[in-house]
Amino acid sequence: MDKLKENQAAYYPGCALLTIDRAYNNSSKLVSKKMGIELVEIPDYNCCGIGEMKSKGAASMYMPLRNMMLAKNRLGSKNLVMACSVCYHEFSRSIARVKENQNELSAVNEIFKEAGEFNEEFIPDGEARHILEFLYNEKGVEEVKKNVVKPLKGLKVAPYYGCLYSRPSMYTFTDKKPKMDNSERPRFMHEFLEALGAETVFYGNEVQCCGGRNVVQDEETSFTLCSQTISKAKKAGADVIALICPKCAGALDVNQPKIVEKFGKDSELPIVYLTQLMALAFGFSKKEAEFSDMISEPLKVLNEKGF
Amino acid sequence: MALEKHESRPVAEKGEHIIARHLIEDENIKEEKNLVIDGVDVSGRWNTFIISRVDSEFDRSFFEEIKKTVAGSRINRCWQCGMCTASCTVTPLYRRFNPRAFIYMMQLGNLKELKKYIDVAWRCVGCYKCSQRCPKQVNPAEMMEALALVIKKYFPEEVETKLKLDEEVKKIYEDMIIGHGRLDLAKLHTSAMQKSGRTKELLGKIERGAILKMAKDGRAFSILKLGKPHNWGSSRKAIENYLHKLNTIENGEAGV
Repeated sequence: MDKLKENQAAYYPGCALLTIDRAYNNSSKLVSKKMGIELVEIPDYNCCGIGEMKSKGAASMYMPLRNMMLAKNRLGSKNLVMACSVCYHEFSRSIARVKENQNELSAVNEIFKEAGEFNEEFIPDGEARHILEFLYNEKGVEEVKKNVVKPLKGLKVAPYYGCLYSRPSMYTFTDKKPKMDNSERPRFMHEFLEALGAETVFYGNEVQCCGGRNVVQDEETSFTLCSQTISKAKKAGADVIALICPKCAGALDVNQPKIVEKFGKDSELPIVYLTQLMALAFGFSKKEAEFSDMISEPLKVLNEKGF
Repeated sequence: MALEKHESRPVAEKGEHIIARHLIEDENIKEEKNLVIDGVDVSGRWNTFIISRVDSEFDRSFFEEIKKTVAGSRINRCWQCGMCTASCTVTPLYRRFNPRAFIYMMQLGNLKELKKYIDVAWRCVGCYKCSQRCPKQVNPAEMMEALALVIKKYFPEEVETKLKLDEEVKKIYEDMIIGHGRLDLAKLHTSAMQKSGRTKELLGKIERGAILKMAKDGRAFSILKLGKPHNWGSSRKAIENYLHKLNTIENGEAGV
């Protein structure tokens, strides 16, 4: 495979984004391209481990780091961009840990050696980048403003960062990134949305967890947390909640009918991805942004507002 | 599992207003109806006392065992400030889920106490608020993974009965991640529903609606096309070998 050109970046899609969350995948690519960066998928990617491997020692770090190796080997890129917050967490966790701990690095390299897929050892010299932080740092808010052709005037958006985009800062915001978002009160999504012409609302649950990790084993916790988030956003006057993580979408969007059934109409609010809103403002149609994929029917409110 | 806040509280009268009341045995709470200390009447809120206790019989080997795992490597740094419990997402929903107390029990090697919390020990949602706010970078979120390891090792029967669903779902995840290298979300969902005995729900209105929607817009078929990474077999073998080695060391001495 060819090495990357200057305006290209290696991109890790992840399992959810290639299947049920294709709206996030496609809109991320559309938006990045419009802003001047083409996302190139790494071939033969494997699952990051989605937090279920953490008790398995170095194997939990091999999973994401194999993808870093792929990016370096096949595409010649040290860094890897991803849109899923859970993947982002797993990658940055592994990189931060092997950087700090020589034992863990050699344990991971032992697995690499045994698998025999690559001829070289893993060196932690790259970074995992979340698409939001990546676009903010590489292109900036001005570039977003420049591309807006259809401002989202009058749309009130509740930005929802979830947990793993910003936490813990010892993993996610390392010194290699030019600008760091705040871990307790992130601002990047707010700034992007305001650049699109939308209005952001403050509702207090921006970095609350959706309980997505235990959504299969412990539904009630997830439903309770999601219902709190949605009803708070609704109370603050939001029309939609904007997400940057497919796991949050699983908990807030796909499960929303069940949450409404349990907690009532207060917990009903359309859910969209940030990149979908960006695509809409950048002049792509609602069909191209794939709003119809969301279970919570954001199309209704978008049509009402005349976008 | 039903959330505890919906259940009636087990301790209605005795020491009700004590924070983390569940950590104290009933007989260790002393209540006086009317109490006068040094001529001052302190009746009311100030007449509940906790009899001081002595923790002895430390099992330091246990502490060393946790310290050697990847997830629990920073247990020695904890100075018990309680920031993890104060910021925890789960504690308001499960009052007995108390990361600070769990870490304390692990530090002491107090298996007898830990055993009481098996049913809530795995309720951590992994939101990392505790790790973010911890002043000593103990990383409590990953300490909960170490806790799960400990509990699984020392109380396999209890885990089998009280955490059956958690174990089974974890197994589905691991089989899929290690076995196929990629995660099939549809299969994960249906097999988890099956394991929890809720297959019927899949035919209910809500689930059926979502499935139909995904079949209509073609997403259901993209799941079928997900496939495996090329050459995953070699990685799989290497991971399985590593895990095998890890298990033999753990059962013998414990370690990475």
